[in-house]
Amino acid sequence: MDKKKIVDLIKLEVLRCLSEKDNESLQSLKVEEIEFPWKELGDYQNLIALLPLSLELDHPSNELKNKTAMKLYDIRDQIKAKIDARKAQELPEVPAAELSLSVESVEVIEPAEQIEVEEKVLVEVEEGVQFISDEPLAAKEQSFGFVSDFKGKDESETLSHHTNDEISAKQPPKPVTEKEMIEKVVKDFIKTHMEREHESLRSNINKNKILSIVLFVISLLLIVALFIIK
Amino acid sequence: MAESNQTDAEIMLKVAGYDSKALEQLYDRYSPILYTLIKKIVDDSETAEEILSDVFVIVWRQIDQFDFKVNNVYTWLVTLTRNKAMDVMNRKAGKLLPDYDDHYEKELILPKLSPEIQALELKDVMDKKDNLNKALSSLTDAQKYVLELSYYGGMDLTEIANKMNIPSVTVKSKLQVAFGNLMQKVSEAK
Repeated sequence: MDKKKIVDLIKLEVLRCLSEKDNESLQSLKVEEIEFPWKELGDYQNLIALLPLSLELDHPSNELKNKTAMKLYDIRDQIKAKIDARKAQELPEVPAAELSLSVESVEVIEPAEQIEVEEKVLVEVEEGVQFISDEPLAAKEQSFGFVSDFKGKDESETLSHHTNDEISAKQPPKPVTEKEMIEKVVKDFIKTHMEREHESLRSNINKNKILSIVLFVISLLLIVALFIIK
Repeated sequence: MAESNQTDAEIMLKVAGYDSKALEQLYDRYSPILYTLIKKIVDDSETAEEILSDVFVIVWRQIDQFDFKVNNVYTWLVTLTRNKAMDVMNRKAGKLLPDYDDHYEKELILPKLSPEIQALELKDVMDKKDNLNKALSSLTDAQKYVLELSYYGGMDLTEIANKMNIPSVTVKSKLQVAFGNLMQKVSEAK
């Protein structure tokens, strides 16, 4: 097929106006044609995307940002699974012969007690998550920050310093580890929701300390008094 | 959130690392143009907002599908948004479509940009606004109309032909000529 005919099909493809038959022939041309006009396809894709510029700009309501943040928050499990999958892909393949050995070594490094603690933390995170999601959003600042602050501030800054280099390398950054993510979520949760309780607990402890000291002094005085009476 | 000096590509790279602040920046930057496009397609603020928030959920979920070699954030987002809005409209209109699942989203909602596409950023695109308007004004009314029915109305050749009461072949040729002329005028204006 000559180039002009292919470009004519491309024009209809970017508009999603191709008939089923033409679509099939264009898709096979993309695979088979050595000199497929990829540049023209890109140019028409860019051109069609410019069309909304001719419209008068409108703005969504301010509340939409919060609604979007809530939707993003609801899919946190999916995102976590994606991070896990990415991490798994990044792990080097272990030969079958070494597999049993490496499993044993993992078991030695991670005792059952530690696993229990981690599970407890996860449960606490889940409870925290529930609590956060039950809160009225209007009270919060309009931000996606609470959605999944997977990245600590330092890490964000480091990332931004390296962004240009990374773009030239054209590789997406590695996700933060699960442990860091859990720590961050737990810290945020404690900071946001437990601070007041911590303060009241601390003041109760101080009161109890003073009371016990007073009681101790009274007891001492009584003992001394009894000793003198005797 | 304050405007940042980061390029769209830099922000996108951070989104790929699941940095929610970066996604917020992307939202702040792109929500007006995307919302404008959706509203033109659906003509209803409530549905438009629903679709816009779904678009950002898709970006967050499918960021690993963004091609960092091509790095065309503007066209990727606009095309994704148009595809999503069209899908919602077609489903509302009762068109028979496959179930909306991850596979469907990857195949028919996420854009498949040419590997040789030139990267575009919103900031650069905004500078082309006047050129585009000039190029559009050089088209005939009929050419503008078929383009509009196709791009914003999501109509195929037969639907446009029925609406305009002309043969499908004529619609096909009008679209091809209109689009070709538009490309020529925009290129000349560079």
